[in-house]
Amino acid sequence: MRISRTWSITLFLPFLICFILFLVLPLLYGLYISMHSWSVFGGNGGFVGLDNYTAILTPGNIYSNAFYLGLKNTLIFVAISVIPLVIISLGLALLVDSIPDKLKVYFRTIFFISYAVSVTAVSAIFKWLFTGNGGYVNNVLNTMGFSSINWLNEQPYAWVAILIATIWWTIGFNMILFINALDEVDQTMYEAASLDGANWWKKFSYITFPSIKGVFVFLTIVSVIASFNLYGQTLLITAGGPTQSTQSLIMIIQQMVFTQNNLGVGSAMAIVMGLIMVIIVATQYFYSFRNE
Amino acid sequence: MKKSKSKTILVVAVASLIALLFLLPLIFMIFTSFKALGEAMSSSALFPKLWTAENYASIFGISAEVPILRWLINTGIVTVGGTALVVFVDVLAAYSLARLNLPWKSFFLTVVVSALTIPTIITLFPMFYLFRQYELIDTFAPLMLVYSANTMGVFLIYSFLRGFPKDLEEAAVIDGATLWQILRFVVFPAIRPVVATLSVLTFLTIYNDFLWPSVVTSSDEMKTVTLGVANLVQGANFVNPGKMMAATVVATMPALIIFVAANKYFVRSVVSSGIK
Repeated sequence: MRISRTWSITLFLPFLICFILFLVLPLLYGLYISMHSWSVFGGNGGFVGLDNYTAILTPGNIYSNAFYLGLKNTLIFVAISVIPLVIISLGLALLVDSIPDKLKVYFRTIFFISYAVSVTAVSAIFKWLFTGNGGYVNNVLNTMGFSSINWLNEQPYAWVAILIATIWWTIGFNMILFINALDEVDQTMYEAASLDGANWWKKFSYITFPSIKGVFVFLTIVSVIASFNLYGQTLLITAGGPTQSTQSLIMIIQQMVFTQNNLGVGSAMAIVMGLIMVIIVATQYFYSFRNE
Repeated sequence: MKKSKSKTILVVAVASLIALLFLLPLIFMIFTSFKALGEAMSSSALFPKLWTAENYASIFGISAEVPILRWLINTGIVTVGGTALVVFVDVLAAYSLARLNLPWKSFFLTVVVSALTIPTIITLFPMFYLFRQYELIDTFAPLMLVYSANTMGVFLIYSFLRGFPKDLEEAAVIDGATLWQILRFVVFPAIRPVVATLSVLTFLTIYNDFLWPSVVTSSDEMKTVTLGVANLVQGANFVNPGKMMAATVVATMPALIIFVAANKYFVRSVVSSGIK
C-alpha cells in the first residue's frame, strides 16, 4: 500500500509515548533507584553502587532475612499452586469439550465467570468461608458433627484456604485457552484411532496432548508468573499470617518501601525478584522445547 | 468421536455437579448479603431464613461510613477512560506494525513481545515515585494512564490482522480512500471481535486492579470500588459477614454483568490467537 512513512509513524507514536513513559522510563528509573540510598519521603540519599543488592543477598541482616522469608513463602505457593492450576483446568476443559455444543456455551461461561471477580471480592468471600469463628465452612463442619478447623491461623490450613481461593479465581482463564486448543485438534485422527481400537488414555497421550502441548507450556509459564505475583489473597485473607508464613515477596517489598521507607532496597528486591522469574520462565521454556 | 447417549448424560451430570460447586462461593456471597448479623455468623444454610436489606442500607444509607457511590463513579471514570486509551493506542500501533511500512518494524515487534515478560512489580514503585514528584498522587491520572503501556493488546490485534486478508484494504486504496476512511470503514469493522475482547480484558484489569490503586490513592474519596472494598475487608471492625458480602456484591456486580454480556466475544477463537 502506498501510505506514507509519516503516517505509519504517526499511528505508532501514541503507543510509543505511553510505552516509554509507563514502562521504559520507570524500568530504568527503578534500576537507578536500586543503586542509591533512597527513601520515599526523603528522596535520593546518594549513590551506593550494588550495596542494596549485597544487603538483600548476604544472609544474616534484616534485609536479606525479609527477602528470603518472602521468597521462600512465594516459592512454596508456586510449588503447590502451578500443578493444580494447569491440571485441573485441563481436566475441566476436557470435560466441557465432551459436552454437546448446545450446552457447552453455558458451562464455559460458568467456569470462566470467576475471572471477572476481583482479588478483593475473592478474598472477602473466602475469608468469610474460612474464618475460624462464624465462618461458613466451619458452621457446616459443626452441623455435620466435625469440630472447627482454624483455617486462617494455622498451617497448612492457611495455605489450603489461599490455594482454594486462587484456584477458584483463576482456573477459568486457563480452561478457556485449553478449550480453544482442543477445538483445533484434528478430529479425523480420533476416528482413525478409534478404528484401531485405541482407548481414551492412548488417544489423549498420542493425539490430544501433543496437539495442545504449546498451550500447555504457555499456561504453565503464565501460572508460574501469576503465582509469583501472589499478593492480594495473602494480604486480605491471612494478612501474611500465621506468624508470617504466608507473607509473600510482594508484601515484603511493599512493606520495605512504605513501612520502612526504603525505596532503594525495595527497588533492588523487585529487580532481583524479576530476574528470578525470568530465569525460571526461561529454563521452563528451554526444557519444554529442547527436543524439538 | 461418536458418543452413546448414556455417556453424554453422564458427562453433563458430572459437569453440572462441578458447576454447582464452582458457583457456590458466588451463591454464598449473594445470600449471605441478605442475612442479619446473628444468622450470618451462625448459619450453615445458604438461604437466609429471614431476608433483610439492612446490610445494603447500611452501606448506601446517609449515615454510611463509606462513600461507596463515589467509589463506583470513580471506577466508572477510570475504567472507561483507561480502556478507551488502551484500545485507541493499541489498535493504531498494531495496524501500523501489521500493515504499514513502519521503520524498525522487527525491532519494535521484538520489544513488544519481550516487554510481556517484565513483571509489573519492577516498574510499580518507580512509577509511583514519578507520579508523586509531579504531584499526581490521589488524582485520576495514575489510575488510568499506566495501563496504556500494556503490550498484550498490540500483540493480540497484530496477530489478528496478520491472519486477515489485505484485499479489501487494497481495493479501498485503489478507490482513493484516505487512511482514515480505510481505518474507519474497512479495518475497524473487521477487527471488531478482537477489539471487543481487548476492551473487556482491559476493562476487567482496570476494574479489578488492587495493588496499583492502593499505592497511588491516599484519600477515601479517590478510591476505586475494588480498593475501597479491600480496605473494608482489612478493617478490623468490619466483622459482619453479611455487611462485607453486601459491599462485595456491590463491587462485583457491574463487572460480572459486563463480563457475561460480552462473554460471547471471547468464548471462542480470539483469546488463543495471540499465543500460537
